Amino acid sequence: MSTAPKTVQSKETSSLSEKGLKAGSVGLIGAVVIGVSCIAPAYTLTAALGPTVSEVGVHLPAIFLVGFIPMLLVALGYRELNNAMPDAGTSFTWATRAFGPWIGWMGGWGLIAATIIVLSNLAAVAVDFFYLMLAQIFSNPSLGELSKILPLNIATTLVFIALACWISYRGMETTKGVQYVLVAFQLLVLGWFAVSAFAHVANGTAFDATAISPDWFNPFAVDSFSSFAAGVSLSIFIYWGWDVTLTMNEETKNPEKTPGRAATITVLVIVIIYMTIALATLSFAGVGETGLGAGNPENQSSIFAVLAGPVMGPFAILMSLAILSSSAASLQSTFVSPARTMLAMGHYRAISPKFGKISPTYKSPSFATIAAAIAAAAFYVITRTVSENALWDTITALGMMICFYYGITALACVWFFRAEAFRGARAFFFKFLAPLLGGVILLVMFVKTAMDSMDPEYGSGSSVGGIGLVFVLGMGVILLGVVVMLVMYRLRPEFFKGKVL
Amino acid sequence: MRYVVGYTANARGHDAVHLAVALTRNHDASLDLVLVIPEDSPFNAVYPPEAGYNDILNEQAQRWLDEGLALVPADVTARAHIRRGDSEAQTLIDAAVEMDAAALVIGASNAGLLKRFTIGSVASSLLHSSPVPVALAPHGYQRTDPITRLSCGFGTRAGADELLDVAVESARDRGLPLRLVSLLALDGGNSPGLADAAWVHAADRLAAVGSSTEASGADVPEPEIVVAQGRTIEEAVDRLDWEDGEILLIGSSRLAQHRATFLGSTANRILRALPVPMIVVPRDYTRHSA
Repeated sequence: MSTAPKTVQSKETSSLSEKGLKAGSVGLIGAVVIGVSCIAPAYTLTAALGPTVSEVGVHLPAIFLVGFIPMLLVALGYRELNNAMPDAGTSFTWATRAFGPWIGWMGGWGLIAATIIVLSNLAAVAVDFFYLMLAQIFSNPSLGELSKILPLNIATTLVFIALACWISYRGMETTKGVQYVLVAFQLLVLGWFAVSAFAHVANGTAFDATAISPDWFNPFAVDSFSSFAAGVSLSIFIYWGWDVTLTMNEETKNPEKTPGRAATITVLVIVIIYMTIALATLSFAGVGETGLGAGNPENQSSIFAVLAGPVMGPFAILMSLAILSSSAASLQSTFVSPARTMLAMGHYRAISPKFGKISPTYKSPSFATIAAAIAAAAFYVITRTVSENALWDTITALGMMICFYYGITALACVWFFRAEAFRGARAFFFKFLAPLLGGVILLVMFVKTAMDSMDPEYGSGSSVGGIGLVFVLGMGVILLGVVVMLVMYRLRPEFFKGKVL
Repeated sequence: MRYVVGYTANARGHDAVHLAVALTRNHDASLDLVLVIPEDSPFNAVYPPEAGYNDILNEQAQRWLDEGLALVPADVTARAHIRRGDSEAQTLIDAAVEMDAAALVIGASNAGLLKRFTIGSVASSLLHSSPVPVALAPHGYQRTDPITRLSCGFGTRAGADELLDVAVESARDRGLPLRLVSLLALDGGNSPGLADAAWVHAADRLAAVGSSTEASGADVPEPEIVVAQGRTIEEAVDRLDWEDGEILLIGSSRLAQHRATFLGSTANRILRALPVPMIVVPRDYTRHSA
């Protein structure tokens, strides 16, 4: 007998798309569910609503609407890049191809930093609602106060991060059924919250009943460009994840129509739910800075933790459940993206090849997943120790970080497709105009927010050495990226000489 | 004849390759190394959307398989396959059925410190559902020389005769000595009466099977019957002498679906103490001749 050692790619793989997903497995509703679950509206609202109100007051609905525009513009460019160069490195790979290794490296760093920050925030929100839920289950409010004890809070958050890391490392997947239930439950509970809030307003039992006025929808009424920029940065975060529906192709049942329709329906669902919740919250609680007011600094970190009880009464536990489950699911799936980006960067030798290691047993990025967990844990511990209101500041820093790497990615799209940009109206719009506008808007927001956040009064009012904590967190992370990049240049110059990508 | 090896790029996978090579030695058989990589679920909500991860994973899988193939000696034909699936066990079963494999070979575990076999979750699912025989390599199995003796775990329960058929035929095909092993767990220590009864029962069944399958090759020695006793099944297994090149054939539990494996509680305990590979044969399994 003769040996013919040859690796045979077996036949079944042909029914899989390029992405390793089963072709034709997702219908319209499925795609919408995926989109909504990526956005995780219950979590994003509780995390971002307060900080946004503190910036733009009653103009919250206007900012939520306006924030979608740059998101849409960038997502269109994102889709073009994804179609032309599908790659695990996404922003990292695309920016490297368009602008060379230095900017590409920073794009990748921005993406990783953003997902690491959101991981630590997700874990913290989950911990808050975990204790709140315990308090609700045992009708013992003192249990909810446990999350305010710093060492206990940090310890619990680290446990949550470690658990999510372990699950993600093991490669356990959320199934279709679970995802449908989670999404339906989130939307249902958010709807319930809105209806209850309006009922309180109608019955005169609201905390600070405020009449809805058309002015709330006017973005130009926001008092300063600073507030406007901060608000838009934050609202980028609430739509973050929406573009996943746009990039779905082969896995949908009708690749021609499903992704576009799903993106449209997802955005309608999300905008409706955001508007309803924004209006309900403002009419119920007002924007006052005392008590339940949405502008109260005490309420910024997690608005539903404060409002769900007064609004929904005994059913507030459903809100805790919805947020806890959605943030736990997001926590686990969010681990995948920094891990895979680091894996791609390790694979292309932009960072240590250790990051490119794949677990032989679970076939998941092993080193990179653990590195992401350690980074998220470290980020949380540092922020929590320095800041009185860590969640608020991490969310603001996160908004900045998303603007940074989305901006770079959008401009990468413009530059990459510059040769084809003027070949017809479609190419001009999708490959040039939309990403250019989106990218410029986001980078302007980024620069403006960064400059404003140097003020020690910015965000929660925490500061380090007289400089606002948000600036330190946001720019600190980016500068750290520059330093690491320079070290990597010394250690592995091949990538930076453009020999790899 | 083909053996499908459930390959992973770790000690467990290497054990499986070694056992599979050993199994092909006195047989005209080839190996198919199957590496399963998980299928992404769009409902896993991975953000941001990305695609090329699978290219990297595929590349890695190819390298892993090349390492696996390098373990196979030059005189054994081996092919390698990458399969995608949600469940590693189910994907291996599908591959084995599709390739019409004579057995699915896997490693037990690389985690057990004291016990020779600790079953991983994949092995466990295979042992409880596979329609083809599952061969389990103990941890650290290095041997690639031919199998020297076939043992067959034998009891009084339903399905024992079918298993005996398979054992007798396998031994004959491979020209291997056959040993019937009856394990007795007795709380009160040795019981000569029970042991004798077990021996007689085994001899009876063997005679019946021998006459029905007729032509027992003249070059094959007469099957040996041993009864091992101990306070526990584990102890009984320990008391038996096992050759290095031995392999134990064992039947599925009565709980098994028709034509499927289901590792029973006794088999599970045997597994924990066994120093040699074992093959779990599905219920109502009929061998197709080589």
